[in-house]
Amino acid sequence: MTAVGAGAVRPRSPSATTAFRRNGAYVAGLTPAALLLTLFFVGPSLWALYTSFTNKALVGLDAARPRFVGLDNYLRLFSDPDFATVILNSVVFVVGSAIIGQFVLGLLLALLLDHAERRRYRLATVAYAAVLLAWVNPTLIAGFLWVAMFDFFYGSLNTGLQLVGLPPVDWLGRFPMLAVIIANIWRGTAFTMLIFLGALKTIPTDIYEAARVDGANAWRRFWDHTLPSLRPIAALALLSITMSTFGTFILIQTLTNGGPGIRTETIALYAFHEAFRSYAIGYGSTIAVVMLALNAAFAVFYLRWSRARA
Amino acid sequence: MTTLGPQAQAQVVIPPRTRALEGGSRLEWALMHLAFLVVTVFFLAPFVWLFTAALDAQAAPYIRWPSQPTFENFVRIFDRYAFATALGNSLFVAGSTMLLTVVVVSLAGYSLSRIELRQKAWITYAVLLLQTMPLSATMVPIYGLARELGLRNSYLGLILIHSAIELPFLIWLMKGFFDSVPRHLEEAAWLDGRTKLRALFEIVLPVARPGIAVAAGLSFLSAWAEVLMVLILIDQQSMKTVPLAFYETFRTAGGYTEVQYGLVAAMAVLYLLPVMAVFFATRRLMVRGLVATTRGL
Amino acid sequence: MNTRARVSRRTFLKATAATGVIVACGGPTTAPPAATGTKAATLSGTITVSYPDELGLKPKYVDKAATDLKAKYSGLDVKVDLQKISSGDYYTKLLLALSGGGDVPDVIHVGGDRIGELADAGYIEPLDRYVSQWEDWKNYPDAVKDGVKYQGKVWAIPYGLDMRWLYIRREHMDKAGLGAEWTPKNVDDILTAAKAVKDKVSGVIPYALYAGAAGDTGTANHSFVPLVWAYGGDIIDKNGKWIGDSPAVRKALDYYARTYNGGLTPKELLTTTKPWTAMRENEGKGTLALLFEGGWVYGGWTKAPFDPAAVQKNVHYVLHPTSTGGPSFTIGGPGTCWYVTAKSKNKDAAWAYIAQWNNKDTVAKLNIEDPHPVARTDSADVAEFKAQQYLVDSTEALKKARFIPTDANYGKVIGAIQKATGRVAAGEMSPDDAAKRYTDDLKQAIGADKVITQ
Repeated sequence: MTAVGAGAVRPRSPSATTAFRRNGAYVAGLTPAALLLTLFFVGPSLWALYTSFTNKALVGLDAARPRFVGLDNYLRLFSDPDFATVILNSVVFVVGSAIIGQFVLGLLLALLLDHAERRRYRLATVAYAAVLLAWVNPTLIAGFLWVAMFDFFYGSLNTGLQLVGLPPVDWLGRFPMLAVIIANIWRGTAFTMLIFLGALKTIPTDIYEAARVDGANAWRRFWDHTLPSLRPIAALALLSITMSTFGTFILIQTLTNGGPGIRTETIALYAFHEAFRSYAIGYGSTIAVVMLALNAAFAVFYLRWSRARA
Repeated sequence: MTTLGPQAQAQVVIPPRTRALEGGSRLEWALMHLAFLVVTVFFLAPFVWLFTAALDAQAAPYIRWPSQPTFENFVRIFDRYAFATALGNSLFVAGSTMLLTVVVVSLAGYSLSRIELRQKAWITYAVLLLQTMPLSATMVPIYGLARELGLRNSYLGLILIHSAIELPFLIWLMKGFFDSVPRHLEEAAWLDGRTKLRALFEIVLPVARPGIAVAAGLSFLSAWAEVLMVLILIDQQSMKTVPLAFYETFRTAGGYTEVQYGLVAAMAVLYLLPVMAVFFATRRLMVRGLVATTRGL
Repeated sequence: MNTRARVSRRTFLKATAATGVIVACGGPTTAPPAATGTKAATLSGTITVSYPDELGLKPKYVDKAATDLKAKYSGLDVKVDLQKISSGDYYTKLLLALSGGGDVPDVIHVGGDRIGELADAGYIEPLDRYVSQWEDWKNYPDAVKDGVKYQGKVWAIPYGLDMRWLYIRREHMDKAGLGAEWTPKNVDDILTAAKAVKDKVSGVIPYALYAGAAGDTGTANHSFVPLVWAYGGDIIDKNGKWIGDSPAVRKALDYYARTYNGGLTPKELLTTTKPWTAMRENEGKGTLALLFEGGWVYGGWTKAPFDPAAVQKNVHYVLHPTSTGGPSFTIGGPGTCWYVTAKSKNKDAAWAYIAQWNNKDTVAKLNIEDPHPVARTDSADVAEFKAQQYLVDSTEALKKARFIPTDANYGKVIGAIQKATGRVAAGEMSPDDAAKRYTDDLKQAIGADKVITQ
């Protein structure tokens, strides 16, 4: 269809006024969001950037007389041996709970549920509901639930172990990272599961028919047809959960508060502790800026990678 | 970036169950059921604690069958902790946030999807990136801003800020969604002489229901669970939301915090069930919306 | 109060040509009663009293003081801002409010351990000019007064103090062959008793010694610092310099090594989240024999689900022993205190509220409900207070209390203490090496110029 006037999709119109007339409505549509974003994101982010160059604190001497310290905070951060541990923890946490955990488990669950729907297994619905319930849980509650599971002296897991005659395990003490990863997987799998469920439903079933007629077994069907169709969606799901897992901290705070020592201190928790436990908001802002930069780097990397694939 | 054409879009609807009883073997049945059993146990096990603790007047942070199951916890949270107020406030704030957010992100997502801009991809990712700014860094300036603008201790402030928190992600999501909605519908409307706004309302929005459901669900969920922002914005008891009510059950004695687990569990149970019911009931719509969204991104 | 009213009163007064009467913009008919001996004849305006309430016990006293004060000064309005959040979150919100522009509360309610940092930040007002004219101030022992002083000035008024006991379960001392009324002859005796319990009494944890970051402030206040004092040293010297490696520190760390290496305390204390919850419960139920913990914990054991009669019979509490002598000291803290903010626009009225609240009866009654020794000795004479043996003992014990430092850097020092004790307890370092490393950690945390070694 020929497109004329204000509805053209790919215009080559030379004049700026026409461009404005076309885009004006969209700019207006973006205004409320832009306003809110500027007020509550861009502004505060710029403030955080500025503060990261000062030694401002909420209490103590640095609250009364904060000084501009230039790059001192950054130097301090990068030369702190604890920071390397914090970054490592963050990577392990994200890879473990998001990439390996939520992503793989979500995909598996989606496949199982999709298959089960065709078979009308009722237990599938129960499983589905269980996964969702874990997701809509507010984080504070999720934290409590898992503390109740993991606690050394009285937790449910250890009580169960002792019932069958096994010695209790100090989950939060000896395997803190594993514990928080499990809790986070439990919490977030529903999101990827939902995404993949929907994606699976859009794969035309006649592809399967054709493949089956060709004699391909279930595994081949999956590998050659299902997976490739899922790839773009998978990439986006991955980006989304990576970014959000990177910023998770309330769950870890409730379970181990970064401990023992700093074995589960991820960068998000580290930023929070510096800002609201030590009240060193200058330094805390520094960490936040670094987080932002890391996320940006990851997003750029992802963009390149996904472009190469598509 | 889309791999499926407009025809496949029609198949967003769940396909007919023509192969419902296609010869699954006994082994398959057993394995699948085992898998579902494991999944169910894993995801439900922590909740066993929740329900036993809620009915236990002396609940502790571990699962134990209450010596005298009672509804006392539920009574107490309404009596002494004004839970009804908290629940009411939460519903109001989360509901209003949902409405405001849906309007703002639909407009923004649609506009971003349709606007002609050379750096659109970069701007889209920049918006998404904003979401990753940690709250611990922005809490201090937002506090100052809220105080200057008189947004503290006001429902308007709560709603605005709760909306703002999820905006970047949801705008990104909605843009993806609208990208997957073909333009010929609007274009036809424009040719007919309708303004863009009317076209949006009358033609696009009805098709956009799944995406809007996603935005509504996610924004409601995020507002429902938000605690840090409420903590710094609200001083008065009359405006507290449920997450703050949880905090009230933590007593600080001698510098150490002790949690009254029975009360927390009771609150959590009441807090969860409505959200859970709504999500479960609308899951098909949400799934459709998520699919279309990710297809468009 | 609106200007219209003020103008009409002024006109009225001018009209009656009253002379020699100082009239504040307060009540027109009766002259306000004189304040309790201290300041301006009348107070007016509005003050805000802000506080967090943790246990639900304070509101009645706070509101009563507000009502009483308003009755004394009819031109004064007292707004009470009760924040039903934890004191930690309250402190964060308070700092946000104090650090920006805008209105701040006049009276705040914060732990006394924050005096140093609040004073450094310029957020609080020194109270010397008020307490010097306050009759009740003489009822506060010198040790208590010192506990709220920083850089020579008084900054806050305490009411319920913290102190700690060494809790001993009589029944286990008996079973271990030490006799039910056993008390330690010196510090090492604790370990001897613990070993006896370990060998002879099964199913009971001998001793709980907090170490590492898991113990939170307990690692310092309930474990390390008393040990350093017991061995004759200190953590900060008279000039305000923090002491790193020193003979007492080494001995304290050696005590840690002996305790943990000897299996006298569970290693899980290093890693469990909030280990004190379990340890307190264990001591109350009798599954732990020896514990040095807060005095207020005893109050928790006198209620369900603990058995008050059994607790009364079996829980023996004594002071902390020294390296050469038996039970003789405790470590005290100022507890939560009342402050006046520096940016308050009505400091006199703020002080009047604090003076009003901190009266003999309120202090006594509140500390009966939430058992703590009282800061003012006349409160200990109140009948109900005296009736509780436990409270009487705690207050007596305070006379032998040494207080935790009010220095603003103490929080960071606690971090270094946690690291040092954690390393020794986990067996990662010998006590001597850990002591040396402690000096380094201190220097890194607070600056080399503030640290000395002995």
